[in-house]
Amino acid sequence: MDSYEVFLKNLHRTGKPDVYEAEMKIASEMIDWKQKWHLHGKNAGKGALKRGLGMAIHQWGGRAHSATCTVKVHPDGTVESFGGSQDLGTGTRTVIAITLADTFGIPLNHVKVHIGSNKYPRSGPSGGSTTVGGVSGPNRRAGLEALWKIFDKVAAKYKVPGDSLIAKSSAVWSKGKKVCSWKDACSLLGAMPLEVQGTGAKRDGLTSSGVGGVQMADVSVDTETGKIKIHEMVCVQDCGMIIDLKTAESQVYGALVMGISYSLSEERIMDNATGRYINADLKNYKLPRIGDIGELKVQMYQPDSEYQRGVIGLGEPPVISTGAAISNAVANAIGVRVSVIPLTPRRVLDALKGAES
Amino acid sequence: MNSFEYASPTTETEALGFLNDSSTRTALLAGGTDLVSLLKSDVVSPQRVVDLKNIDSLSGVEKTDDGISIGALTTLEDMQMHPLVKDYTSLLDIIDETRSIQLQSTGTLGGDLCHLPNCWYYRNGYGILGMENGTSLVEEGDNRYHAILGNQGPAKFVNASRFAPALMSYDAQLRILGPDKNREEIVPISSFYISPKTNRQGNTILKPGQFVSHVLIPNTRGIHSASYEMMQMEGLDWPLGAAAVCLELNGHVVRNVRMTMGHVAPIPWVAEETSRFLVGRDLDESSAERAGEIAVANATPLSMNDYKVQIAKTVVKRALLKSASLLEEGL
Repeated sequence: MDSYEVFLKNLHRTGKPDVYEAEMKIASEMIDWKQKWHLHGKNAGKGALKRGLGMAIHQWGGRAHSATCTVKVHPDGTVESFGGSQDLGTGTRTVIAITLADTFGIPLNHVKVHIGSNKYPRSGPSGGSTTVGGVSGPNRRAGLEALWKIFDKVAAKYKVPGDSLIAKSSAVWSKGKKVCSWKDACSLLGAMPLEVQGTGAKRDGLTSSGVGGVQMADVSVDTETGKIKIHEMVCVQDCGMIIDLKTAESQVYGALVMGISYSLSEERIMDNATGRYINADLKNYKLPRIGDIGELKVQMYQPDSEYQRGVIGLGEPPVISTGAAISNAVANAIGVRVSVIPLTPRRVLDALKGAES
Repeated sequence: MNSFEYASPTTETEALGFLNDSSTRTALLAGGTDLVSLLKSDVVSPQRVVDLKNIDSLSGVEKTDDGISIGALTTLEDMQMHPLVKDYTSLLDIIDETRSIQLQSTGTLGGDLCHLPNCWYYRNGYGILGMENGTSLVEEGDNRYHAILGNQGPAKFVNASRFAPALMSYDAQLRILGPDKNREEIVPISSFYISPKTNRQGNTILKPGQFVSHVLIPNTRGIHSASYEMMQMEGLDWPLGAAAVCLELNGHVVRNVRMTMGHVAPIPWVAEETSRFLVGRDLDESSAERAGEIAVANATPLSMNDYKVQIAKTVVKRALLKSASLLEEGL
């Protein structure tokens, strides 16, 4: 039976069968699953190289951590955010800036984000896929509160109904008509900036939890040396509402790279004879390079049903099923299961030898 | 890292002076791609480092009466670019497989030949034999990357040189200088490596105060040569098994063959029986396969490296097929 069908028939065991089914369909088209599929070990080739397909699905929480922040709107229309969070390279700065720029309808470079210091309002740790949800909620709440205060002043000054106002394209609008520029609106604040505190996490729909995704791998195995080559990996991933598509995709690409790394080579070797961590160097702690990665394709899944779930963390989820997808692809290629990762030449050859004897 | 003197001679004679003027413990610096990490981990702790890079006579490739001479300090990249090296396909295969641009541009041929074992017990301070309290840690511990041939003595590491198997197959010779200033000897590379019996020995015949100055390689007329290294990773990595072959064919029939395996034993391992088997036979997929089986027939794998027997068998087969341009597949 086609692995794809096995997954399909068992999706009712998951919390979100419809989402997975839709994601599987997209992923299978991206990797051309139906065209490439063959039964486990039934590779057409007769030489040492065996090619195989594998897939896996994953789920994760991603609930927002509890963070606070201060948002300042200056009389010149620029905005600053302060929060004791940090950016490990996962785009914390980017998502805060985009959240506020979107809220106020101003260009990204008019928002200055301050993070990475204990001086700033308390925020959560970077861990558990909680940061993006954690920081975007409080910034959005504080931003909206500031915006309403400014709208009140605009309504009073320009004699328009406050609840008709929206902010976009660096201006304040009422019923499709421009009321004033964003800068003019902020000049109504007087000499001092408007300062608003943001808090979280709240169950107000801005953030929620529960993400998933599908990954598929196309690999070759050299059955005479045990070496595995990744031809292609695809990932279709949901994470609720995406704040920045490029950052989200980048997170998934990175996860695939590290997923390939832990699947094929990355390993901390503790030696039984000495009790030492004997490969604590870059010679024997094997990390993949570009040539080991193959072609990666990422598709974020964000229909309205996902968008409405609010922001959910994406830090860890896409690294979860890479190992299973690759391992399944190897089993499909050689007809033998290599049950421990990383799938090193030693493990592959030992598994093949075990199957023979 | 301990403090050390740094000497930068510009002639061979001057270098020998720095190496032999007292009982100072010395270390030779070539490309430095490995020595620096050995110094940092205190596995090697010389009182004086003698840098050979500024001795012009040690770099470059020259024509000799019956082949070429490559200076020990010639970088991999300079070898790759040199017109005289282009017939030595086995060497070019290895430079290619080294992959790391840093290693290619700073690593040297002599440095590679004298590369100390990568054995993690050695690198963690347990000596070249990897012993503790008289027992072999290699035998007791994690030996996944260790020797499967020639491992019945106390040495169980694998020789780390990438070029040695190819140079053995080419029947190369080494010009060794010192320890006395006027002493120079030409030694076949086949007698250069040793399997040490004690932790005080090295893995070559070099005595303190000596160094390899040149590698002399005979002509390759009529010889097909190739190296096949099996590495787990596509980037910088060390072979799990390697084979280098020089092959003379009469049509499809093997007239002469020299097969040497790397990364399987404490010394580059000459597969004599494989060569004997092949002479007079057609070289094809099945004879190459059989040649691989013969090469590992006497393998004695340790507790965790049985898989390397399969890899060694494969690299022998593929090196043979590659040298005859018959290799079709492999990752």
